[in-house]
Amino acid sequence: MSIDQIQPPVGPDTTAARIPRKRMSLWSLYTRRFVRNRPAVAGIFIFFLLVLFAVIAPFIAKYDHIELDFLNLSTGPTAEHWFGTTSAGNDTFAQVAIGLQRSLMIAVSVSVGTTVLSAIVGTAAAYFGGFIERGILLIIHFLMVIPTFLILALVSNDAGGDWRVISLILILTGWFFPARVIWTMALPLRESEYVNAARYMGVPGMKIVMRHLIPNIGSLLVINFALGVVTAVMAETGLSFLGFGVKIPDVSLGSLIGYGANTISSAPWLFYFPAAALTLLTVSMALVADGLRDALDPTSAAGGQA
Amino acid sequence: MIKYLLRRFVGWMLMIVVATNVTYFLAWGFLDPRSNYVGRRPPLSYDEVTQLLEPRNLSDSVPLVQRWWGWFSDILFRWDWGVSAVGESVNSQVAYRMWISAELVLGATILTTILGIALGVYTASRQYKLADRIGQATSVVTMNINIVVAALGIVLLAIGFNDLVGARVFFVTGSHSQDISGFFPVLLDVLQHLTLPTLALVLVGYAQYHLLQRTLLLDNINADYVRTARAKGLTKQKAIRKHALRTSLIPVATQVAFTIPAIFTGAILTERIFGWNGMGRYFLDTIGKNDIHGVVAVAAFGALLTAIGAILSDIAIVVLDPRVRVS
Repeated sequence: MSIDQIQPPVGPDTTAARIPRKRMSLWSLYTRRFVRNRPAVAGIFIFFLLVLFAVIAPFIAKYDHIELDFLNLSTGPTAEHWFGTTSAGNDTFAQVAIGLQRSLMIAVSVSVGTTVLSAIVGTAAAYFGGFIERGILLIIHFLMVIPTFLILALVSNDAGGDWRVISLILILTGWFFPARVIWTMALPLRESEYVNAARYMGVPGMKIVMRHLIPNIGSLLVINFALGVVTAVMAETGLSFLGFGVKIPDVSLGSLIGYGANTISSAPWLFYFPAAALTLLTVSMALVADGLRDALDPTSAAGGQA
Repeated sequence: MIKYLLRRFVGWMLMIVVATNVTYFLAWGFLDPRSNYVGRRPPLSYDEVTQLLEPRNLSDSVPLVQRWWGWFSDILFRWDWGVSAVGESVNSQVAYRMWISAELVLGATILTTILGIALGVYTASRQYKLADRIGQATSVVTMNINIVVAALGIVLLAIGFNDLVGARVFFVTGSHSQDISGFFPVLLDVLQHLTLPTLALVLVGYAQYHLLQRTLLLDNINADYVRTARAKGLTKQKAIRKHALRTSLIPVATQVAFTIPAIFTGAILTERIFGWNGMGRYFLDTIGKNDIHGVVAVAAFGALLTAIGAILSDIAIVVLDPRVRVS
């Protein structure tokens, strides 16, 4: 028997039917679903523009954010100072860029931190059950009673406005609510076959949590991350606005809005620009989170077909 | 059922007591009442300050455990929350400011809830129609505007409006004016002061209830028991109101109850912007002035709000969910 006889004849009419349509990869499925959500695409576009602005603007700005221009005190937007100046002569354009940078840095690091921490604690509580679960939930409920905003204010006031310390406290006070949500999401997974199989094969508990449970709620974590950015920006700007967060000479969007609030009728541009940056940042990130939910959540009907 | 609620109540009370005590020790870790007397003219010596602080139970020369017991037993036996480093009574401060905050937070909470639920029901029964899409788009935006930006934006608009009309229709700062008497003048004055901050709180708050209520109602509209009701001849509106709404209200009620402390945090920012002398302002003052007893009282107040929220949500579930009552 020659090799020709084994291989079935391939005629031109059957080719099309035989070659299977290329299977869509998970990523292209997600992208397709995400792109279908127009506001989400707009959101990610705005977010990238903001990041770009935060990175590039300090280089093209004519002034440093701490440099004082004594010839222009409290002037509105001009060709020299695009966003105007403060009463001390700071260039608002450079300040907004640095403030946005700072707020973004805090927000992203806090959101990464809380997502990781809450994922581990939440899934561990769901997997181990028994007294570990009860203990973790008790701690979470207890932490919910302690007014975290007060602790945030106390500690960051003490830290003198170092943004790294602020990020750390925001992580430490921000993980328990998402952890509780993740716990409820991970509960059904505890009973699933592949987790049982791993358990009977003698895989240690923490390894099952890291290898099987957490990847399986990955989509939820991605959405949590995007929402966490919004929450962190809100918390940080709130603190900085009240004077407990980032402090002079460092600036963040919250502290800039705080200065702007004092001169809101005499020099409103000090409020307009950081407020616009802040609103664009939070709204765009929320739209992205919405789009991610549509794209990643298998139970969401909003994604339409495919 | 009452036994269940009672048990929950006791559990929460214990949590509040523990949380308040933890805050007491935390506050001592971060605040120093002595620093209130630094820079006094004429300067006070270390011992003089100690002599001032010791009767107020705020001196670090006394061991922390002893200070704590003094503070705790005063609350336990005499409901006395102590005094600040300069001698103001915490009890009277909280008693006075609590109502100012309540005036703001209560109204805003009620309006936020009603508006959110009503919008949720309205848009859910018109899913994917124009009204639904517009409503959702606005909600996503307003929900993610920072309360500070929203409040200051409203201030700017109000200033513009006042200038346009040429009269002070809205008050941008303060919770009430001095020397106004008579029922209607006072009512008008309160409303003039309340409008803007309430508007700010409602603007950033209603959307979460709107979106939640919409999702939940949509889940329930297609449930079997609603379809049965429809098949028996109820109109769609009536079926939604009588059957679907009730079950979908349960999680919303829980959510509302649990956001009471969050509304209070939001009110800290709002009070600061609109110059209200409520608990939010007190919170900022006590931290700024190293007022340990005041800080702890604010924390206890916050914890109490959380507990009230939790218990209210339990009651709401009992009232709304027939399944709980049966078992």
